[in-house]
Amino acid sequence: MRTTDIIRRAGRSLKNAKARTVLTSLAIAVGAFTLTLALAAGAGARSYTHTLLTSNIDPQILAIGANSNVFKAGQTGPQEYSATSSLGTRANGITIKLLSQADINKIAARSDIASVTPTYTIDAQYVTQGGDQKKYTADVTTYDPFVTQTVAAGTLPALRSSIADNQIALPEVYVSLLGFTSDQDAVGKTVTIHLARTPTITQTQIEQALASGGAAAVETLSAPSTMDATYTIAAVIGKSATALTSNSDLEVSNASAKALSDFSTLGTSNYQEYDLATASVKEGINPETVKNALIKQGYGVETAQDLQSLLFTIVDTLQGVVIGFGLLAIVTSVFGIINTQYISVLERTREIGLMKALGMRGRHVSRLFQFEAAWIGFLGGVIGSIIAVLLGFLLNPAITKALGLGKGTNLLIFQPVPIVLLIIVLMLVAMLAGYFPARKASKLDPIEALRTE
Amino acid sequence: MIEVKHVTMTYGKKQNAFKALDDVSFVIPDGASVAIVGKSGGGKSTLMHSVSGLDRPQQGKVIIDGVDILSLKSKAVDKFRSEKIGFIFQSFFIQANETCFENVALPLEIADIAPSVRKKRVEEALISVELGDKIKQKAGNLSGGQKQRLAIARAIVNRPRIIFADEPTGNLDSTTGEAIENLLFGLNKETGSTLVIVTHDEDLAAKCNIQIYIKDGKIDHIDGEKK
Repeated sequence: MRTTDIIRRAGRSLKNAKARTVLTSLAIAVGAFTLTLALAAGAGARSYTHTLLTSNIDPQILAIGANSNVFKAGQTGPQEYSATSSLGTRANGITIKLLSQADINKIAARSDIASVTPTYTIDAQYVTQGGDQKKYTADVTTYDPFVTQTVAAGTLPALRSSIADNQIALPEVYVSLLGFTSDQDAVGKTVTIHLARTPTITQTQIEQALASGGAAAVETLSAPSTMDATYTIAAVIGKSATALTSNSDLEVSNASAKALSDFSTLGTSNYQEYDLATASVKEGINPETVKNALIKQGYGVETAQDLQSLLFTIVDTLQGVVIGFGLLAIVTSVFGIINTQYISVLERTREIGLMKALGMRGRHVSRLFQFEAAWIGFLGGVIGSIIAVLLGFLLNPAITKALGLGKGTNLLIFQPVPIVLLIIVLMLVAMLAGYFPARKASKLDPIEALRTE
Repeated sequence: MIEVKHVTMTYGKKQNAFKALDDVSFVIPDGASVAIVGKSGGGKSTLMHSVSGLDRPQQGKVIIDGVDILSLKSKAVDKFRSEKIGFIFQSFFIQANETCFENVALPLEIADIAPSVRKKRVEEALISVELGDKIKQKAGNLSGGQKQRLAIARAIVNRPRIIFADEPTGNLDSTTGEAIENLLFGLNKETGSTLVIVTHDEDLAAKCNIQIYIKDGKIDHIDGEKK
């Protein structure tokens, strides 16, 4: 018997039991719906992440640490002690080796590196417009010339060039706090960043001070030294639709940041020691080769590509959870198919008997029922994915609005190939589910089946 | 020619053993019409199943056209049935929710006849049982007599050498039954195929060339056999 004939007969049998067929396939449709949405959400999230990274991060950028532990999550275990390198403790309690100024100079000296910027530790106490204006806490970071930012007012230099040493980029949130009337009003005005440092004093120093000037001299000695740095506001930075984080850091030039950092850390173990450094690989050189060269020297290095794959891992994990639920629905529907097909075999005992009496092979009878199951799988897959796609088109604008993503960004992206593959897989699963009932049908004795009652 | 030689069919084992057929032997020449007559439970259905390759007796030989079908593998027996045997049953066994065409096309699909040939064959078969105008109708809408005619069309569509009819008129009134009988005998003469009717109806049996009387699994006597 021809396969096409068997498939046609299988389709006809299902048409004769429409309600049962549709109800059984709806169970699969639930799974297909979940899986289609999971695939679409995964594709959308990956595409969004990619857009996010490519529009925010220069692909030539490397993140460099003293060793690979910097990029490891969780405990890193004891570190080898070295007199020439210092250790730092990160906020999450992980001890890491720090980069020294010598390391920075060494990396900067490489011919394939355009520039190196370490992450400076700046403990700013507050920022103010000066005078009797209010003071606000502030985080100060280095202006990143490799990241595109949304400018609300004023102007920022072109990509890959930094702002001047006396300039600062101010987040929009500070505009009204610091007493400016508008974004435009703030541009060109000055702000002052106040830093304080508790001096490190030795016992000898205290004794000497006590001997020479008494308690007052000790107080003077232990008074924190302060620094006030004043900058002109170059631009006010607004919120971006594709910004990686909602940044509320004040940004100063590399040299200014170094000055502030050196002041903050003077006398501590962190003086001219850095968690991380950002290096820009020269145009035309593959960041991956530079990364490998630096890793050989013992540094821990990640490229923009690595960051992307890290984010993709997060997306994949979330997607995996949703897919798990979809698979659960599929597993449930498998039992539905088995049940339905068993009933179908019982109902059609005489039909099966007749077909076998007429010389139909058991193998073909079995295939007939498996194809019926495959049809059910096909129907379920198509129903589920169509509903998912329709829902996706309806929901996409709402999701984009709710999450505040940029216009034209869709978080649900439906790709035809995975959907087609999904339907094929569902058909195969349904065929597997139909195996036991089909075997029962193929083993029926035609004489028994045709015994009239 | 159908040669049945010392066929013994036993159901059950040891103490419960029951001989449904006990050393049955006979010969049916080509083109003959044969009635297998006997009471229900006497073994006539078992005999039909054994001769048509549906059942496998433990002993003996069933030689059809020189081949002992009991020695064939099940695949070959299936092929034999699909190519050489037509079946007609007391309760028709037609698919009510399929059209007449689909019902009659089933044996052709099973025998792997090309779709282009099928349509013509089905039409011919339906015309010969006077159902040519019902080709697209659902089989469930037919009357009892029409259903059996449809079953006959299905039995003859693949031009079998032997047609087995198991109580073909048992579910029909006498007028309709007679029309079906005439149709069967007409086709038997026209196509030269062998017709084997299993019945307990003496009047129907009398219309056949040969009557094989079965009693308690044994041949009681055979009438009309050519020497």
